[in-house]
Amino acid sequence: MSHPAEPESPRDLAAAYALGALTPDEASRFEAFLAGSPEAQREVAEYREVAALLALGGEAVPSPDLRQRVLARVAATKSVPLRPTRGRGPTALWVALAASLIAVAGLGLNLRAARGELRDLRDLLSDTQGRLAAREATLNAIFEPGVQMYQLTASGNPEPGMQLFYDRQRERVIIHGFRLPQVPENRAYQLWFIRDGKPVPSVTFKPEADGHARVEQIPVPAGGDVSAAAVTVEPQSGSAQPTMPIFLVGPLKRS
Amino acid sequence: MSAGAAATACERLAVAYRLWAMPSSLPSSSTADPDLVARAAAGDERAMAGLYDRYGQVLYGVAYRIVGERADADEVVLEAFAQAWRDASKFEAGRGSVAGWLTMIARSRALDLARARSRRDRITTAAAGARPDAPLAMGEVRPDPSAAMEHAERRQEVRQALEALSAPQRQAIELAYYEGLSQSEIAERLEEPLGTIKTRIRLGMQKLRDALRPFYFEPGP
Repeated sequence: MSHPAEPESPRDLAAAYALGALTPDEASRFEAFLAGSPEAQREVAEYREVAALLALGGEAVPSPDLRQRVLARVAATKSVPLRPTRGRGPTALWVALAASLIAVAGLGLNLRAARGELRDLRDLLSDTQGRLAAREATLNAIFEPGVQMYQLTASGNPEPGMQLFYDRQRERVIIHGFRLPQVPENRAYQLWFIRDGKPVPSVTFKPEADGHARVEQIPVPAGGDVSAAAVTVEPQSGSAQPTMPIFLVGPLKRS
Repeated sequence: MSAGAAATACERLAVAYRLWAMPSSLPSSSTADPDLVARAAAGDERAMAGLYDRYGQVLYGVAYRIVGERADADEVVLEAFAQAWRDASKFEAGRGSVAGWLTMIARSRALDLARARSRRDRITTAAAGARPDAPLAMGEVRPDPSAAMEHAERRQEVRQALEALSAPQRQAIELAYYEGLSQSEIAERLEEPLGTIKTRIRLGMQKLRDALRPFYFEPGP
């Protein structure tokens, strides 16, 4: 049985809109009305809260590893993977391929699914390969003859630290920090070289979510005796002189 | 550099091994959701861990309910958090809660996946073998304990509020929310007049709003 449609006020659609139950045309018309009605906006906001609560109707529990995979996906979503400085060897290619396949399997993607999923997969594959290549480049740089490793240390709980790989032939260093506390939004860690007893400013950096930080190809200041390196927390743009107590420090004596 | 500045630098070196405890900025249960999103917008991945601990299970629950397969639900949650990470700077606290924002992203992703699968299954004959996996009864998840407790309380309230609706109202709302059907599609599916479906959804949502207002994830505007 049907009955005549009742006259409908646009506001009557607020609940259906928040629930996502309007057709695209209906949604467009409602949004035009919504833009000029603060009252309807409040109503929609409230119905969205109701819709959010409906999400609690699903009670399945995620697998234990999903959290780590989410954080890895978030990390992989960053747009600036380090570029390799040299070509990849065959072994690295196999490692990259295997790792990529594992990543694919781990994602549980159904390859028959929509084209969008395949595009995401290709992006992830490319990102994974880029990361592996960057790791290999880093390892190669660390294992170069004449590269020495130094430790920058501090006190704290858990104790943070930093490894500094010093390539004296090229006068470049790689730093790898770990267990670094996060810094406020407008601050960053800054590396200093102590040359002839005076601090020389170097790069600024922020740690990843897991407290790690890695910066490569850092030039060592020339024209004097570089005897130590240190890290402080400075404004994000860096400082010309240290403005905070030294957080990490270590000697760079030639062995 | 002046001699004074050099002396200052040396003094700073002299305190190099002093304890210097920087306050940890790990998300605590007292950190407000919008603050976590703001930190994510600033590039703090740890904030995403905080959001996952609070809402990962909720997002997984709704994703699984919509897509019905664990691997697909995993993918929905992965993509939902990746999208939240990318779009954190676009989040406007005045327009709704973080929970509402996250669940809307996850639901939208899940519905997209379910529709894509539906199209695929119509084309192939593989659908016959596709059965929903059994959801995990227990899992070693590490949700924010206080959030988990609040979710459990809210879940109970939501269940009661849904049970208080008439069966047709509940059915119409669930078809819209979990299957992504428009009012017109629901009317077609149930072979009911469109006006009837609209009324059921409007009145049902009003009842839910009145019953659940004290249990919103965040106080309303």
